[in-house]
Amino acid sequence: MVQTWRRRAILGGSLALPVLARAQGAAPAWPSQPIRLVVPFAPGGTTDLVARLVATPLQEKLGQPIIVENRPGAGATVGSLLVAQAPPDGHTLVLSNIASHAISPTLYGNIRYDPLRDFSHIALLTLNPSVFVANPRTGIANLADLARLHRQRGLDMASSGSGSSNHLLIVKMGGLLGREINHIPFRGAGPAMTAVIGGQVPLMSDSLPSAAAHIRQGSVTAVAMSSAERHPSFPNVPTFREQGYDVVASSWFGLSGPANLPRPIVDRLAREVGTILDSDSTRMRFAEIGGSPGRFSPEEYAAFVASEVALWGPLVRETGARPD
Amino acid sequence: MELLISNLLHGFGVAISFQNLSFALLGALIGTAIGVLPGIGPVATISLLLPITFGLPATTAIIMLAGIYYGAQYGGSTTAILLNLPGEVSSVVTTLEGYKMARNGRAGAALATAALGSFFAGTVATILVAASGPMLTQVALSFGPADYFSLMLLGLIIACVLAQGSIVKAVGMVVLGVALGLVGTDVQTGQQRFTFGIPELSDGIGFVPIAMGMFGIAEIILNLERPESRSVLSTKVGQLWLTKEEFKRATPSVLRGTVVGSFLGILPGGGASLAAFGSYMMERKVSRGKHLFGQGAIEGVAGPEAANNAAAQTSFIPLLTLGIPSNAVMALMVGALIIQGIQPGPRMVEAQPDLFWGLIASMWLGNLMLLVINLPMIGMWVKLLQVPYRFLYPSILVFCCIGVYSLNNNVFDVYMTVLFTVFGYVCNKLKMEPAPLLIGFVLGPMMEEHLRRAMLLSRGDWSVFIQRPISATMLGIAAFALILMALPTIRKGKEKAMAE
Amino acid sequence: MKLKLNGKDMASGIFLIVVALAGLYLNMDHSLGTARRMGPGYMPMLVFWIQAGLGLIVCLVALASGPDPLERWTGLDVGTLVGGILAGVIAWKISPSIWSFFGQTYNGVGLGILVGFTVMAFSAGWKILAIICASVCIFGLLLEQAGFFAALTGLIIASCLAEHTHTKRGVVGLTIFLLVLCYWVFIYELDIRVNLWPQV
Repeated sequence: MVQTWRRRAILGGSLALPVLARAQGAAPAWPSQPIRLVVPFAPGGTTDLVARLVATPLQEKLGQPIIVENRPGAGATVGSLLVAQAPPDGHTLVLSNIASHAISPTLYGNIRYDPLRDFSHIALLTLNPSVFVANPRTGIANLADLARLHRQRGLDMASSGSGSSNHLLIVKMGGLLGREINHIPFRGAGPAMTAVIGGQVPLMSDSLPSAAAHIRQGSVTAVAMSSAERHPSFPNVPTFREQGYDVVASSWFGLSGPANLPRPIVDRLAREVGTILDSDSTRMRFAEIGGSPGRFSPEEYAAFVASEVALWGPLVRETGARPD
Repeated sequence: MELLISNLLHGFGVAISFQNLSFALLGALIGTAIGVLPGIGPVATISLLLPITFGLPATTAIIMLAGIYYGAQYGGSTTAILLNLPGEVSSVVTTLEGYKMARNGRAGAALATAALGSFFAGTVATILVAASGPMLTQVALSFGPADYFSLMLLGLIIACVLAQGSIVKAVGMVVLGVALGLVGTDVQTGQQRFTFGIPELSDGIGFVPIAMGMFGIAEIILNLERPESRSVLSTKVGQLWLTKEEFKRATPSVLRGTVVGSFLGILPGGGASLAAFGSYMMERKVSRGKHLFGQGAIEGVAGPEAANNAAAQTSFIPLLTLGIPSNAVMALMVGALIIQGIQPGPRMVEAQPDLFWGLIASMWLGNLMLLVINLPMIGMWVKLLQVPYRFLYPSILVFCCIGVYSLNNNVFDVYMTVLFTVFGYVCNKLKMEPAPLLIGFVLGPMMEEHLRRAMLLSRGDWSVFIQRPISATMLGIAAFALILMALPTIRKGKEKAMAE
Repeated sequence: MKLKLNGKDMASGIFLIVVALAGLYLNMDHSLGTARRMGPGYMPMLVFWIQAGLGLIVCLVALASGPDPLERWTGLDVGTLVGGILAGVIAWKISPSIWSFFGQTYNGVGLGILVGFTVMAFSAGWKILAIICASVCIFGLLLEQAGFFAALTGLIIASCLAEHTHTKRGVVGLTIFLLVLCYWVFIYELDIRVNLWPQV
């Protein structure tokens, strides 16, 4: 059977290889044992999905199994801390993302890692815009409708959770409209989308991957997309900028390891990930979930993470001051 | 109707192919195995097996994953009945009467009831999913936060019926469970509550450490302290199969359980977890054997097991018709589908008829296979009880420990289990019952979430709970149940006062 | 009318009240918010007040619903409980300075609980509870450093002390059987991520 065979291979590898590595002496070839890829979210979410989409081709290229390990908790900081404290030998990596490395460090305050200093950032995997969607029965089709109704009676807007980038977009939009939007946080995008489709909440700010199917099927209307330009898969959905609101934001997912990861390992990983992201099958999969593959060198990715921390930190502090 | 039959036939055509059939069987087997093992749930297993499904056709992959899901429901009741180990919320209820039946030497009958009841409920619920899935979705969509809150409140109130002793103490345990559920990150503000700065608590206390500690391991200690009670466990095996009398008593319970479970399973906001004990409450109030509750009443196994399995099937409705997962297992399945290049959503029925109808047909086939696998195994399971207890208990401990550790690969959970073992032991000595506590623990966080959301939406107006018809009905039933429960106590008190 | 005190109910009621008061005290850190925009402290406040009220009712009912006294405690029971807690706290606090292993993750806590239960195991009243809990702690302490097999062996042998009818041969046989079974189920089939052998 397929899986017993595969598991046996993993097991055999994990038992035999440390011994071999030690026998080779000071500079064992990397990777010398299975690689743990820590996903700081529960299985099934977008983060988990991205990790598994990349892990499968990557393990073939590296010749060692990659074990995706879900370590959710505390806004993705539990799993990230684990990797920050792991030995920098390239056998423990983390799926860094906007929550773990840009929002939560400010949101939670007492996080025991620094999103920049404690990690070697390797590659950006994918970027997803956010999208405002509305229940079709509300008649909201664009931001002008939204602004008008909001001025009249004040609107409710759902999100997948407090402190998510989607929530922060709601706060930002409320600021631009000059009246706070009543934010209704849910536990995950699924329940929030149910409430919007069911008409319990008129609007939602969602990441494109989880909203894509519902927009395509017309069960919700896409009001505005937070990308800089129109999304190739959704050419009919206007951006915030087009509609006169200066909002450009993306949630992102990348690959990182503990700080001081040896340069050759970082380069090798960046190179392999690059070829995977360039391949047609990966492009297709990412396009289906509404994301575009990221193409950054390790330095560019590290600079990107730094810029994101600088971008989201102040917004978080703004919202964190008054919890809702 | 004709369309339905032709669709179902199409589905069976898909499901009956050799590959799909063997993967449904494989999934059901894996599911049963992990259901039997404490701590290792379907979520962990499915996420472990997800990479394998990449190589399979989408329909086959989803059929196998679904098999794991309902196989785990079957397996979970086995350990609940035999060893008082509830691996999942739904099996907490099964321990109440099922484990008592096992101690009376009726383990075989309890297991058979669970298997037959589940199969029947699964069959009915599958037809329901096929025939009126889209319509039922509308019911689910009409539930707003206020309605969910009232439903949860009703759930908590009827949870007190789970207790055998004092009602006030049971209510106290429910509330204590709700209090335990408060530990962790506040969903709405991200603030840490009652975590004492421990990062592992930021997602709340785990269900499995509480269940393993308070039920499984505490039970071991109590059994070891009373050597006389466990000899009963290992010597009396009794007749394996159901007696005619038992069959007659179980049948109406299964029917009622199926109805309750099918309805609650549709609601994505935690309805499925209410199914089993909603049915237990019902049986305790209306069944013919209600006076036997607490001593191993077969109705208390038949109803909840049927309800649980019916809910497991109907909880696929939001996934299949809206593309929205109603629990963590479903979320994983959405992930599997997306990796396969299929976007689950309202159009899935038309766009992927093979997948939709194939899955429905395979649900029923999977249930049938589970029945065929499980019935002959009952004899083997019951034999397990004849293993001398001094060998059995270290084995249970070992499985509990590894299961608890593997939840998060963290020893923290192991020590939490120790803490709850002691707590469960103390509760037993004080005659405080753990089942209501666990229900409160599970429902409490959902209740808070819905309450706060309802208030956000109503802009602070409490009257929303009586203005919405669904919510008002739930609250009415809750009030009625409360009065019904309080009456005997008050009457008893009066009689006592009169006697003196 | 003579009071028929129900000791078990009284203790339960007091327990509920104490937990509720502790909860209310801890909840002072959290903002209550308003009914519209409930803060993180709103629900806990409701829950703990209800719990305290229920505890009070349980206590009142307990005055007349007895008699159902608590089990008798011997002097040794009390002594080992107090001694166990003291020894456990001391072990937890001091151990990291003796061996850095106890400073990592929850190893120090595990050792503290283990020491506490070991002390408690000396009184007949606590013996079984203490041994079972201690054996689970041994598992927790050994698992990550000494590996899967050592941790299971420790757990099985320690837990067997709780039952006097065990024979040496029986324990050895059981240990071997369970080691093989667990290897097959958890490592070979389920492939859980854990070290099998001691880490150097």
